[in-house]
Amino acid sequence: MEKGKSLIKIKPKKFKDGEVVKVSFMVMHPMETGMRKDKKTKEIVPAKYINSVKFNYNGKVITTMNVWESLSTNPVFTTYMKINGAGDLTVTYTDNTGEVNEQSTKIKPKG
Amino acid sequence: MQRREFFKKLGAVAAVAAVTPSISFAAEAKKPTGPNELSFKAAVDAITGGKTPVISSKITLKVPEIAENGAVVPVTVEVDSPMTDADYVKAIHIFATKNNNSRCIDVHLTPANGKAMFATRIKLGGTQDVATVVELSDGTFLTASQNVKVTIGGCG
Repeated sequence: MEKGKSLIKIKPKKFKDGEVVKVSFMVMHPMETGMRKDKKTKEIVPAKYINSVKFNYNGKVITTMNVWESLSTNPVFTTYMKINGAGDLTVTYTDNTGEVNEQSTKIKPKG
Repeated sequence: MQRREFFKKLGAVAAVAAVTPSISFAAEAKKPTGPNELSFKAAVDAITGGKTPVISSKITLKVPEIAENGAVVPVTVEVDSPMTDADYVKAIHIFATKNNNSRCIDVHLTPANGKAMFATRIKLGGTQDVATVVELSDGTFLTASQNVKVTIGGCG
């Protein structure tokens, strides 16, 4: 994954309607706290961290997160989700510099 | 004469030595603090509105007891809840009690989640407690915490 890219993983890969599945959202993000000094230039690296994450499934918001800078570099957000028909799962994140990124995946329950 | 000059120099050195600590203190005061400095107690009060959360065995907080690298500490919070429209977990908050900004993440859940669980990775500046506060749909707050020993700090 490149910088700024994100990925959604669903476990298990094959699921039925009504099943509860594990959803992981991974982002390549520096998550700078604004406290760290660059070792070469001796200057403070400006803060750049994810502010909020939103899980949207079939046009309905299922999970929202307020995030602060204490999360690790390249954070992972893992939670569960109940499958309720075919549709799209869209995850949007915003960071403090105003960067917005969106990633979506198709939900296709079988059986 | 030589002796007198020697004492003069000694006095100058002492004066410099007396001034330097104040300079270093000033530098310490200018030490960069994060954009959202917040203590653990203030953060909990802001969430619960002054209520004291109850320590509960319903919460399973999984954090390693010893973390070799403070920059990547996996945290898992699982709450025993039916997750129906009438009774569900509204929010899971994770704190690193001694970090500059102790708030790590607030997760707002809905019954559509099916299971009250959240996992992520956090940064810890040093040995401290990792705590979680869980808000239920009936307005009660539960809490759990665990101490984590950090060998190498993750901030800075």
